[in-house]
Amino acid sequence: MYRRIFLLLCFSIFVKVQGQQFTDITNRSGIDHYFEVYEGMFGGGIAVLDYNNDGFEDLYITGGMQEDQLLENLQNGTFKNVLKTARLESVLRFVTQGVAAADFNRDGWMDLFVTTITTKSQKRKIPRAQNLILINQGDGTFKNNSKSFGIQRIESFSTGISVGDFNLDGYPDLYVGNYFTDYDGGLKEISDATIVNAGKTAKGYLYENKGGKRFKEVSEKYNIDHRGFSFGGIFTDFDNDNDLDLIVNNDFGYKAKPNYLLENLYPKKEFQYVGENYEMDLRINAMGGATADINADGFLDYFISNIRYNRFMIQDPEKNIFKDQAEALGTQLFTISWGANFNDFDHDGDIDLFVSNGDLNPNCVPMYNFFFENVNGQFKEESTKFGLKDYGVGRGSAIFDLENDGDMDLIVVSQKPIREYGPPSITRLYRNDIEEGNYLQVKLKGNASTLSAHGARIQVFSDSLFINQEIDGGNTSHLSHNSTLAHFGLGKRKIIDSLKVIWPGGEITKMNQIKTNQKIFVEETQEFKKRRSNLIWWLIPISALGFYFFIRNKKKQHKI
Amino acid sequence: MKNKYFPVFLKKISIILIIGLSFSSCDNYPNEIPNHEVTAQWADMTLFITKNTPANSPTFASRCLGYMGLAQYESVVHGDLNHQSLAGQLNQLESLPLPQSEYSYNWLIVLNRSQSLLLKSLYLQTSDENKLKIDSLENRIYKILKKSTDRKIASQSIAFGTELAKAIFEWSKSDGGHRGYLKNFDQEFRREPFDGSWKPPLFAQSFSHKPLHPNWGENRTFSPKNTLLELPTYITYQTSKESDYYNQFIEVYQKEKNLTKEEKEAAIWWSDDPDETFSPGGHLYYITNSLIRKNKPSTITSAKILAMVGMSVADAFIKCWKWKYHFFTERPNTFIPEFIDQKWESFWPDPPFPSFPSGHAIQASAAATALINTFENNTELIDSAHVGRERDHVRNIEFKARSYKSIWEVAKETADSRFYGGIHTRQDNKVGMEQGAIIAKNIINFNWKK
Repeated sequence: MYRRIFLLLCFSIFVKVQGQQFTDITNRSGIDHYFEVYEGMFGGGIAVLDYNNDGFEDLYITGGMQEDQLLENLQNGTFKNVLKTARLESVLRFVTQGVAAADFNRDGWMDLFVTTITTKSQKRKIPRAQNLILINQGDGTFKNNSKSFGIQRIESFSTGISVGDFNLDGYPDLYVGNYFTDYDGGLKEISDATIVNAGKTAKGYLYENKGGKRFKEVSEKYNIDHRGFSFGGIFTDFDNDNDLDLIVNNDFGYKAKPNYLLENLYPKKEFQYVGENYEMDLRINAMGGATADINADGFLDYFISNIRYNRFMIQDPEKNIFKDQAEALGTQLFTISWGANFNDFDHDGDIDLFVSNGDLNPNCVPMYNFFFENVNGQFKEESTKFGLKDYGVGRGSAIFDLENDGDMDLIVVSQKPIREYGPPSITRLYRNDIEEGNYLQVKLKGNASTLSAHGARIQVFSDSLFINQEIDGGNTSHLSHNSTLAHFGLGKRKIIDSLKVIWPGGEITKMNQIKTNQKIFVEETQEFKKRRSNLIWWLIPISALGFYFFIRNKKKQHKI
Repeated sequence: MKNKYFPVFLKKISIILIIGLSFSSCDNYPNEIPNHEVTAQWADMTLFITKNTPANSPTFASRCLGYMGLAQYESVVHGDLNHQSLAGQLNQLESLPLPQSEYSYNWLIVLNRSQSLLLKSLYLQTSDENKLKIDSLENRIYKILKKSTDRKIASQSIAFGTELAKAIFEWSKSDGGHRGYLKNFDQEFRREPFDGSWKPPLFAQSFSHKPLHPNWGENRTFSPKNTLLELPTYITYQTSKESDYYNQFIEVYQKEKNLTKEEKEAAIWWSDDPDETFSPGGHLYYITNSLIRKNKPSTITSAKILAMVGMSVADAFIKCWKWKYHFFTERPNTFIPEFIDQKWESFWPDPPFPSFPSGHAIQASAAATALINTFENNTELIDSAHVGRERDHVRNIEFKARSYKSIWEVAKETADSRFYGGIHTRQDNKVGMEQGAIIAKNIINFNWKK
């Protein structure tokens, strides 16, 4: 009897060690989703958000020609699609692409921004449509406020959305990528000339959030004037000056327009093109990216997904340049990549990398996703070992903590293949079952910053370990928005010596001697200061002048 | 007293002078324009519109060059005693409007009018701004020519030019390429893959993964004989080393490893991406125009050579596309990564259509054959087509003018450049060059002279 129990125990241990490190729990999670393209290769993405503030992360997934889904986390590893009860039906009219989440109106509830490329009702000669802002009402429902936010007029072919407070006023601003040229005021007349112009490169939208009430497109004001076949940008503080810069990913960079690196010159209202100087003007098919300080030198590095070979751009802060180290780091494998996510999935104190791969629908050659395990600074492709070798037509991917168990799980959107395709191609949820090492999760609450503190930096020191992480603003990965929960794998370390939060703008919060294996909440001490409207400064002199003329007039009349 | 009235006199004189000057300043046009410049300036404008109209393609561009060249010739042919109209010889074109024998014409005004009208008709999709540019050129040339032309003759010439352009445009509408820019990439196109078949490129010039104009090969050729050309032969697919097929690709692979600076410059110079330039056909039309400006031939010769080159290039693209979609062959970017070196990438990105035969080779050979019919083959020339363009950042190559010792050298370099670019094998080029010459001869062999 004891021998039997012992053997059973040994077998269980063996299964644990040799078994899959991620478990595909798509079927049992209640997720039933695939993205269906409108024409060709474009879409889809996922945003992680806690829409009902119950402490569990929910998901919004775009569906393209299929229906989008708002997946409420039922706190037991399963989800329920509540799109309709959340009154999000207005999105069903559109062929959606990307999604990002933020509390745009600072009411404490997470809102959504969804990009679209056309409407579903009728096939348009030139596919274009408005984007959507969906404001969380705090009662489990959303309201389509696209009109009041002033974005309804423009019909575009939009892609990725990045959230970042580039003017440091506490309201989440946006950069929205466009692939093809847009139409302000909509497409009124379709002629041969408009049709041939429709395939031209487009400008992106730099949306300044005006008091949580509307978005103003300010790219011209901020000196952003490029065009490109863009999959959007990534707000990130690459130069550590406490404001959010912008990396813009462009497809066909070798032929049309390259990637751009834009340095935020805050407090000046200007971005400066510095891509050539930093050698970040990549001329590739840039599809998306991921951000991490991979060599722990205090400066962020970027993984840029591409067709054929991805780029791993490591920053050299002494020379102020980035160098592609993909080959040296072991990530240079032939494929077509879209989403990418850095995280210490196995809690061993270094940062691993997941990459979502998929062919250019309607081309349908199966290609598997990559999981690069970080082994002493070298990346080793271990998708089989970690149970992530899926051959679906992968696109956006995101990390989040499904069960609040401290490790980060993974969701990957796949497209329905247009042609015959061997393996199944569906959106998959992978539960992280690695259970190795210690961890720390940090949830920031911004006050002067945005609610999720997009772009804040968290630095963790624990004996020889230094980890430097930026809070995700979206469109790292592809058309998706990761969890804004900061997560650190710590190996065997049980105590963190110190933790530093650098809030956007540069305010610092320091904490010492923090126990591992917990989630801590850090609130920004600097308070939000609502800016007075500029209008008041105009109204005072105008009123004074008006009053003066009124009195003068009165006196004249009196004399007469 | 005199002093009192003098200023009034001066004032009157001044007013007269000012009015006179203002009238004369209304006409800044020169009194004359060389005949060959009229043809050349319309060739320039044709190339400008080709280059500056979105959704351009090498196929559609070549078609327009054919009609624009033909219209140049048909506009002036009745003013020449030795030449005749091609109506009745061209595919499905029985007749074209004839000038009225009792009228006199200024043939350059006819040409000026027909070029303007036809260019706006063929490029219906070009911007309003571009259409104004066309009108502006027509107006400018007309103002110059009118100075030495009787008003009635000018008016009759405009009427004939209009009639001619309309007739050519009507005929063009039935060739299969009319408004072809609306169906560049047929979303319904499907071809079952087979060994050695074309696959959409990963290192691509176009975002579409459907091939360009799959039915262009069914279009009407200018020469009836070109419709009937036989299929060329293609080396049988084999992947074994030492096979002829494998050797075609290993040669491309090895060349890419050892490209000289000159070869790289040629690869970039002749890339003629239709999204940024006037396309490969336009490049040869440009060279034709350079030779016209250099040699200053008669009006009929200028117009005739533009017609010959334009129609040769147009027919070359039709036949090339016919064979491309018949064989539907792979490019080096497909074969080499699969059988030789997975990391290999061509020097220049793949265009969105099958490989065999080379479009660059066939049309350059066709154009050169047509050119040699008029100019000596050993004519030296300088090609400045892309001078002033921003350097190619990806490959760090400048656009510098190129010199050639003969016309055929131009054609050969055009073909070779695709081999250097790694997007064509030697057999694509060889067959392209051979067939291009045959196609052009069928254009040259029209009965141009009475």
